[in-house]
Amino acid sequence: MKSMSNWSELKNNPRLKNIYDTRIKILRLIREFFWSLDFVEIDTPIAVRFASQEPHLNPLPITIHDPNGQGERFYLRTSPEYALKKLLAVGYEKIFEIGKCFRDFESFGGTHNTEFTMLEWYRAPGKYQDIMDDTKNLFKYVASRLPAPIRGGTEGGVLRYKDKKINIFKKWERLSMKEVWQKFINVNLDDYLEIKPLKKLANDRGCTIDDNYEYEDIFYKIFLNEIEPKLGLERPVFVYDYPASMASLSRLCERDHRYAERFELYIGGLELANAFGELTDAAEQKERLGKDRELRQKLGKEVWPVDGDFIAALASLRPASAEAIARQAGIALGVDRMVVLFTGAKDLNEVIFGSISDQLSN
Amino acid sequence: MASTSDVRKGVVIRQPNDLFVVVEFQHVNPGKGAAFVRTRMKSLGSGKVVEVTYKTSETVDIVQVDFHTMQFLYKTGDKYAFMNMESYEQIEMDADFIGDDAKYLKEGIDVVVGLYEDRPVSVQLPTKIKYKVVEAPPAVRGDSATGNVTKEITLDNGLKVQAPIFIKEGEEVLVNTETGEYSARA
Repeated sequence: MKSMSNWSELKNNPRLKNIYDTRIKILRLIREFFWSLDFVEIDTPIAVRFASQEPHLNPLPITIHDPNGQGERFYLRTSPEYALKKLLAVGYEKIFEIGKCFRDFESFGGTHNTEFTMLEWYRAPGKYQDIMDDTKNLFKYVASRLPAPIRGGTEGGVLRYKDKKINIFKKWERLSMKEVWQKFINVNLDDYLEIKPLKKLANDRGCTIDDNYEYEDIFYKIFLNEIEPKLGLERPVFVYDYPASMASLSRLCERDHRYAERFELYIGGLELANAFGELTDAAEQKERLGKDRELRQKLGKEVWPVDGDFIAALASLRPASAEAIARQAGIALGVDRMVVLFTGAKDLNEVIFGSISDQLSN
Repeated sequence: MASTSDVRKGVVIRQPNDLFVVVEFQHVNPGKGAAFVRTRMKSLGSGKVVEVTYKTSETVDIVQVDFHTMQFLYKTGDKYAFMNMESYEQIEMDADFIGDDAKYLKEGIDVVVGLYEDRPVSVQLPTKIKYKVVEAPPAVRGDSATGNVTKEITLDNGLKVQAPIFIKEGEEVLVNTETGEYSARA
């Protein structure tokens, strides 16, 4: 799609127009689904002072000026998660938001666009298994309400990615990360939860790694090469319980503290969503974010203070009973990727009007 | 040594065992992890396709490939003949090597060919190619009412694409070689 304005391509190519029509329908169906479950749609700021501390994400910096020209550094959010979790602390129990998020230094097209549409929803009380159910129900709700030609007619080959067809009306799989490693590369992940043995495993499998690699880097190098492309080829799969060192904002598994309550959804080898049984321990969260901040510094990335208001919100949560801990769960799902799957589009540029790549080619 | 930011379609990478030409590459940012570049590449020796994932900023041994503009001349059997527009030398490529792109070729179009030690390793087509419409069935009344807003047309090199119903025989159209679809009237 080079050398032509985006609107003209959309006007002249019925396939692209159909994709865009479907995108609009999907956005509407997502809202209807959550409203039908009594979720509240909320909106939170896109421009934030204390952006996510995720070590590998790059928030887009902006400067906001007061009338005297005094500038303040802000960032475009990479995810609305801090704000949404603050609203849970306010007392909302079921919330969702659909909005634009931004991640700098990512590719223009393929499976990324610097500006993209994110859907997040949270339940408090709620468990990450509830979020898996919601996700499955959401896809089925949308699929059964799209016009028949889009959802693959009656044969049911509903979602398409590259040359794969995935029927979401079949049973969805739930596999732990440990099971996935066992299944696809015959490795017991329990033995590779420390960096040293994992390094050796990577070397044995012919992966090139160097001394600067963090645990997560080596983990993903093996995972991306040998496992991810095989995930969800026939039916959608939730991969759950990540090594504790990759917990991010998730709580540790009660039965096994070496793993954390985090899951990702894969359909046709494409990663759609990342979810957590949310960590609600303020002290622990503060410590983890502090460590993430240190890692950002070490990687030479821009740093900013940990969002103190977020930590304060977590600290305010009172357990319902003396022994019960506050249970919350939430998820972030890439809407553009969801549209790719429902329309069989070739990549993200085909489902986004005025993608970065399209604007650059005008 | 080059870095992963230099990896793109058509570059040739030296791995310990062989030379590979990149046929596909994609940036992947897993969940909330670091950035990676996933490539599919074809061995220049065996023709076998492998997948290799690099961490962003990893060093990659990219070997020098020279790019030349070449004009497509003709096809005989399963050989495709091109002329190097700088040296006026002629080279032939196998149908296997050109692959699916062969259907877009038509006499006189320019392509960019990557040469490694005088051996072609990649062929890049123009993003849009102009063709003359040689066959376009007339639009049937009621087509648009039934949602039938496109029809199949045949172009002067035999390529068939879906185009809007208003396109007529003898017109010139542009086809997008990335999507394989009708793009606009030329």
